[in-house]
Amino acid sequence: MENNRASIKDYGYRDFTKLNKIYSIFKKVLVVLIVLGLYLSIIVIAIQSINESRNLSIFTNISFQWYANILQEEELMQAIKNTFLVSSIATVLATFLGTFFAVGLYALSKKSRVLWMLLNNVPILNADIVTGFSLMLMFRLLMVVFPNIFGLFTLVMAHLFFTIPYVILSVMPKLKETDPNLMDAAMDLGVKPYKALIKVVIPAIKAGIFSGMLLALTMSIDDFAISYFNTGAGFDNLSIWIYAVIGRRNLTPSVYAFSTLLTLFTLVGLLLYQFLQRQKKGKKDEKNSFNNISS
Amino acid sequence: MNKEFKVLAKPYMVWLSVLVFVPIIAMIFISFSNLNSSISVSEIALSLSHFKLLWESSTIIAFRNSLIFASATTFICFVLGYFIAYEIKLSKFKNKFILLTFVILPMWSNLILRTESLANIMSENNILKSIIGFNIFGNISGTWMAVLFGLVFTYMPFMILSVYTALEKIDYALEEAALDLGLTPFKKFWKVVFPLSFKGVVTGSIMVFLPTLAGFAIPKILSRGRIVFIGNIIENKFIYTNYNHGALLAVVILIFILGSIFLLTKFDKEGETLL
Amino acid sequence: MKKIVLTIFLLSLSLILVACSSKPKLRILNWGEYINDDVVEKFEEEYNIDVVISVADSNELFYSKIKSKTTAFDLVIPSDYMIEKMVEEDMLVELNYNLLPNRSEVTYMDGVDQIFTSMSATTLERSGQTINYNNYAIPYFWGTFGIIYNNRVEGLEEALYEHGWDVYFEADTYFPTARRGMYDVPQFAYAAAMMYMDNNPNDYNTELLNSVQTVIEDASFTEWGDDTLKRNIEADNLDMAFTYTGDYLDRLYIQLDEGKTLEEVRSDFDIYIPDTTMVFLDCMVIPNTVTNLEGAHQFINFLLDPENAALNAEVVGYAVAFEEAFDIIISYLDSEDTWRKNWANANSIYYNMEVERTYYPLTTLNPTDVDAIGTMIQDVITG
Repeated sequence: MENNRASIKDYGYRDFTKLNKIYSIFKKVLVVLIVLGLYLSIIVIAIQSINESRNLSIFTNISFQWYANILQEEELMQAIKNTFLVSSIATVLATFLGTFFAVGLYALSKKSRVLWMLLNNVPILNADIVTGFSLMLMFRLLMVVFPNIFGLFTLVMAHLFFTIPYVILSVMPKLKETDPNLMDAAMDLGVKPYKALIKVVIPAIKAGIFSGMLLALTMSIDDFAISYFNTGAGFDNLSIWIYAVIGRRNLTPSVYAFSTLLTLFTLVGLLLYQFLQRQKKGKKDEKNSFNNISS
Repeated sequence: MNKEFKVLAKPYMVWLSVLVFVPIIAMIFISFSNLNSSISVSEIALSLSHFKLLWESSTIIAFRNSLIFASATTFICFVLGYFIAYEIKLSKFKNKFILLTFVILPMWSNLILRTESLANIMSENNILKSIIGFNIFGNISGTWMAVLFGLVFTYMPFMILSVYTALEKIDYALEEAALDLGLTPFKKFWKVVFPLSFKGVVTGSIMVFLPTLAGFAIPKILSRGRIVFIGNIIENKFIYTNYNHGALLAVVILIFILGSIFLLTKFDKEGETLL
Repeated sequence: MKKIVLTIFLLSLSLILVACSSKPKLRILNWGEYINDDVVEKFEEEYNIDVVISVADSNELFYSKIKSKTTAFDLVIPSDYMIEKMVEEDMLVELNYNLLPNRSEVTYMDGVDQIFTSMSATTLERSGQTINYNNYAIPYFWGTFGIIYNNRVEGLEEALYEHGWDVYFEADTYFPTARRGMYDVPQFAYAAAMMYMDNNPNDYNTELLNSVQTVIEDASFTEWGDDTLKRNIEADNLDMAFTYTGDYLDRLYIQLDEGKTLEEVRSDFDIYIPDTTMVFLDCMVIPNTVTNLEGAHQFINFLLDPENAALNAEVVGYAVAFEEAFDIIISYLDSEDTWRKNWANANSIYYNMEVERTYYPLTTLNPTDVDAIGTMIQDVITG
């Protein structure tokens, strides 16, 4: 770019160096402020987790007792395990199913696609408690055949119900962007349609699949109302537990400690992953770096 | 796309029909009937008596609050979220996967914990004040500013993710071409990049607008119970087992919102931007 | 990808297998953290039963869970008015007192008996039926409601003890700048205003509703909250709030635990319990979804043992319902253990049996009335 400047200036290029400098400082400040905004609540939770006192409004002393205490909180531990189990199953299934459903919906005529995409919004729009309630009533019909259905199974099904729409919503715009000739070209080369789908289309929309997966996990891990109505047999997740405790008692600061650990572990995991990728990349050539998302 | 793939949507159509259509029809029925938990089948009658709830001043105010806050939140999320998404795209950091996860990571902590911690530092005497000696927010606890702040920074990751997904594949050659044609960087952004990413903005707006509109926990906690959203009313109706009113409100909102989205698609001439 | 899916399925399979132990199960639906784990363990060992606890945060959620029958619960711990509603809708099983020999070992406290009587009375008035709720329910914990106040506000304590409810509701006359908070359960707000007007909080008619609305509007509450109220008073972000006495004790015990003295805490914030006040009584009841009827009775009988009841209260901190258990707690006044001593002290102050009070448990109002109260509160808030 630098070298070209003199030549394109004649064609109307203007010099923005000064403006760019101010803009780049402004940009940096804004990025920092927004990230701070996003993480503000997490930072406060972290402060609450290392506060020696259980009083949430005064910081007395730094203490890690609440971290040590997590393991002793049996109900909390059980709730955490349940949450992870349900969310991981639901996320994997939702990402997988949602992607293929999106492909299917995209293949429909425009008219019916609009209709089904409208319906796809209902689980996102509907108040959780309404969704939770109506799902429970539907699953109850199955109880005639499977009397012990309520528990892990119904919980996962309910989570699929509100996570799949997010996956579809993320994948759909990517599908529209893919070149329709891509499929045709592959099929002209003799590749079977489903193979072409997996080998050609899926890689082209993977950014959408990935963000769909993140959204699905995010929605699933933090759901209360839908989970409450569709769980059973003591299979309570973390949100149900938190709500139930604040109904009559106080939350133990170990909950904040767990939250902080979750964030920290993910951050460390991400950094580690990045570090390992770098090391690998050092050996490979630069070509791969054009892949924006490497997973 | 190959028409053969239509079959992939079939299971989802069945799933949606059973789990969305049937409950909606049931809800419409409930909102017209006197059905409640302690009534027997023979006493069921249809009536319009529940509809006067819709003209109740608290219902109208709550609905207005929801619409205003959801619109404002969506707009602010769009401006700030787009900016962040664009920065992520421009960033030299190769592994965007990590940046996106970083953006959404706060949402993995429980919503109640996050919101209560915000409420904590927005009030007069709080934990942060006891450390740094002053209030970063002043004393905005209980005001609309507190609610808006909470909503924006809770749902912004949805916008960032959607917009980034759309920006991700924009060919740099296009941007270069635009510059070569003499567009200023701003014009380049406005004429080339933004239109190409508009689908992501629409998706992101849906993902921010809808949950904000139906939500109840954030307004309840951050306004200290003083700003009522329609979600709060539905929640209360269902909890106090007034399913008739709860179902009525839920259905009215569903029809209102889905109807507006549907109308938008009608006005969308090319028919490809939305949905 | 395949590997991940496989691992997850194996993991879930193993978890399900682990969950299916051979011991008989007892499924309890309870409030969160509302039971001492030691008591549960002791019971499990003694009776070789596996206790599975599910939790929820309101009586209404208990109700919908039992009503939906999606899980076969053996025991639930709802409050008074919900028990009335559950009995009315035939959701509960009558207790078999032959299986509860420990019942003869305990005497219910006066307040608890008052609540049972009052429940029967309101039921009679509402539906014309005579129901003895002792046939369905054994008390678990109970408690009063009161006004938590910020003692850092000069003169507030004296005013409260002199003028009672007036100070809380008459914002124009008393402490106009005080920040008042109300529990965001519409019926609680209604009941509080009714008691301020010297009415029975369970009475309802449109005229009363209108005057309650005026009273609540005049109080100009700055916060409608739940568990946030107690913390905001503690933090000096609020000056008065109508909540559970147990809410106050919860915060009190925490502060005592951290080394403050009772006097220090009380000089920061305290609770005033009016002479006429609302009470609640949480009871163990057996829903008709029960599959382990014997186990449910065994559990109830186990908690009818005063020592177990006192042990349970030690972690939960609410008021025990049996005089014998209360005596055990009071006997800790001479204990070496500071926590037990403080605990006994607090019990003797806040659950003082000597003070004559009128206790009103809330009743289940007619659904349309509940709804009218809810709408009235929403109208006040959206004003």
